[in-house]
Amino acid sequence: MPPEASAAGLPATRRRMPSWLATAALLLPSYAWLTLAVLLPLAAMFAFSFLHATPLGNKPVVWTLEQYRAFYDQPYLLGVAWASLSIGLWTTGICAVVGFAAALALVRATAGRARETLLILVLLPFWTNGLVRVFSWTMVIREGGFLDVFVRWFWPSAPSLGFLYTTPAIVLGLVHGYLPYMVLTCYIALLSVDEAVIEAAQSLGARWWTVLFKILVPLAAPGLVTGAILIFVPVIGAFMEPRILGGRVGVTMGTVIEDQFTQAFNWPLGSALAFTMLAVVLAVFATFSGVLRRSATT
Amino acid sequence: MIKIARLFLALVLVFLYLPIIVMAAMGFNASPLYALPFDFTTHWYQELAGNGRLIEAGWNSIWLAVLTAVIATALGTLAALALWRRTFRGRSILRILLLPPIAIPWLITGTAMLVFFFWTGIGRGLHAMLIGHVALAIPYVVLVVGTGLQTLRADLEEAAMSLGSTPIHAFFRVTLPLLLPSIVGAALFAFAVSLDQFVISYFLSVPGMTTLPVEIYSAIRKGFTPEINAISTILLVASMIIILGFARFARPGGIGERS
Amino acid sequence: MLTKLRTNPGVYDVVLINSARSQQAAGEDLLTPLDLANYSNASGLAPALRDNAYLKTDGKLYGVSWVWGMNALAIRDGMDKPESYAALAAPEYKNNVALFDDAVTMIGVGAFLSGQDMNDPKDLDAVAEKLKAMKPNVKLLWSSEDQWNKAFSAGEFDLSVYWSGAAVRSQRKFQLPLHFVVPKEGAIGWLDSLSIPATSQNQEAAAKFINYMIDPKFYVEWATKIGAPASANEKAMEELPADDLNRDIHKPEYIETMTLMAPLPDDRRTAFNNLWQEVKAFYAA
Repeated sequence: MPPEASAAGLPATRRRMPSWLATAALLLPSYAWLTLAVLLPLAAMFAFSFLHATPLGNKPVVWTLEQYRAFYDQPYLLGVAWASLSIGLWTTGICAVVGFAAALALVRATAGRARETLLILVLLPFWTNGLVRVFSWTMVIREGGFLDVFVRWFWPSAPSLGFLYTTPAIVLGLVHGYLPYMVLTCYIALLSVDEAVIEAAQSLGARWWTVLFKILVPLAAPGLVTGAILIFVPVIGAFMEPRILGGRVGVTMGTVIEDQFTQAFNWPLGSALAFTMLAVVLAVFATFSGVLRRSATT
Repeated sequence: MIKIARLFLALVLVFLYLPIIVMAAMGFNASPLYALPFDFTTHWYQELAGNGRLIEAGWNSIWLAVLTAVIATALGTLAALALWRRTFRGRSILRILLLPPIAIPWLITGTAMLVFFFWTGIGRGLHAMLIGHVALAIPYVVLVVGTGLQTLRADLEEAAMSLGSTPIHAFFRVTLPLLLPSIVGAALFAFAVSLDQFVISYFLSVPGMTTLPVEIYSAIRKGFTPEINAISTILLVASMIIILGFARFARPGGIGERS
Repeated sequence: MLTKLRTNPGVYDVVLINSARSQQAAGEDLLTPLDLANYSNASGLAPALRDNAYLKTDGKLYGVSWVWGMNALAIRDGMDKPESYAALAAPEYKNNVALFDDAVTMIGVGAFLSGQDMNDPKDLDAVAEKLKAMKPNVKLLWSSEDQWNKAFSAGEFDLSVYWSGAAVRSQRKFQLPLHFVVPKEGAIGWLDSLSIPATSQNQEAAAKFINYMIDPKFYVEWATKIGAPASANEKAMEELPADDLNRDIHKPEYIETMTLMAPLPDDRRTAFNNLWQEVKAFYAA
């Protein structure tokens, strides 16, 4: 090896690993862990979805596509899917509006220690058990529950406002459970918005809604999108909230899938439904991100 | 405008804390069926003091959540750096692969883990729960830190490097401090994901080695009593004191402040 | 239990098997045939349970019936006791009914109402129609006893499909004001029996143990001190105190009118599950 080459090359290699190696080193720990603990087990479940019956005991293994025909064989599932989708959209929409506004209020109307404390207070309810939280809601919104007691303090003859066992009750419980996600992701995104940009706009005579929709919302878009993913995706499969808060109306894809695993003991059908749901969710986000990209380029 | 914003924040907090207050209150109500009218008692706290099982499960939950938060945040932050700061082939596929653990209901993931861990000899127990919790928390960490990276200006880092600092030096001196709010946020998330995780823990726990959510989940069958409200309240108040104390004594402008 | 029995030969000497699974176990040659003459306490067993067809395979008995229970109706005290499951769809219980979120039980109720065999209803559409007619009344579907107790004590419903054993506990532990009612169609019954695995090394000791388990003296102690399901031994039930709730609810005449859950072939079980899922979706829509 010519001496010049090593003299020129050495400092460079000491300073920089090859790019692909650095990328791999950054990714490997997470993805190895994910593969071992989630992706491989889920791949096994995916294989189960092509079976005729749950592979336990000494039944023969029969491969079939019948589980994926469920929506065709049991058309009422389309109605269930639509109900889940609309619950997901409502929840995500309400969380987006309230969460963004709360994050904006945190960033613009508070500062320093008060702001940190408030942010933590927003996230803390998240650390209590979801089941206990949902159960507490039932005591608030049932007929004669805390909500009614409270209202009747001021207006003794008030009619009952209880709305337990309705779709709005399910959405309420889900919004309560997932709102902190949106507040946090929007907060992170809004933190890095440069004050100077807003002042510049205002000095040029921009009204508040122009500032909001032309500057703040587009700049915080990554936060809104991440928040929406973190909320919409699990809400579609949620089963605890619909079951406890929904009563008779609490039938969603989540509860149907849960039933296949706990009651009907039909893992193949349950996983086929879950993977179909995953495909739909991915399709929704693919379309959505396509639209976003196109609108960004125009 | 600022007043309206603050009022709005207050309303959001009232909404978030309403069921929490109910939860705490019902821990002091005598009826085991949570029936009204309210009848004050500390009976459930006394019961809880004698309930070693529930207390031990509470400690297990906390340790598991702390470990999960540390591991998942470290791994997830590295992955987020690669996914949002570097370009390479297969990047979008790797991003999509983060979604299944979030999208597939935990019940299915839990069943799948149980079958797979049994089959590979990993078995059940706290170690299996840790593996599962970290795996579930990683996607949340990657997405939250990724959001921070997306809104962070890459040019600062480049400027530092063009001024002669090494990539690693630039990362520790420029990117990391700017990214700190996102990383802390992600860690809080990972902690919450683990602390509230019941389905997977339920499948992967062994008798005598459970976590609080598992105890609560199995209590639905036996009937859950206000003891569960009592321990939830204690846990919440304790974490509130620790975190707010931490925020108070941390360096000025700790989390959430641009440095 | 069957999986454990298959994979652990020789480990168990006595096993508890639901009557709906007994024939499957016997068919796989997992169990020993029994002769009731060896069981002195068997004389008190209710004949309908003792000689139940599900405990027999090829004319031989493979299980000693031990405890049983029913799914029927529970109604709040002070209201008229319904005579038929048809009350679940009656207009006077509008938005006042809780159903059990269990496919086999609810298909059973639908089959009773459409005059069919609950274990093998030929006309599933008729079952669906009967269940769907309950929609305006259904307030919630319960899946655990705890959920039932809390909702009932909050006054959310007055009429419900409920378990007999749970009805005893709800009254005894929480003083909930309810009556357990078996309508004229009869109850949906279950029966647990004790069997001896074919691989047991201690057949004689196993037989002695089973005999002890159906002994009225043992049962009375178990039922009064700890709380137990209803015994299949009529003599044991008679020895409970006259005002015992367990005895009051599990009347011997109900054994005559109840239909035991039968072993279900896989395709029928799937059909039941799908139908119940469809009915639930109809309630939600």
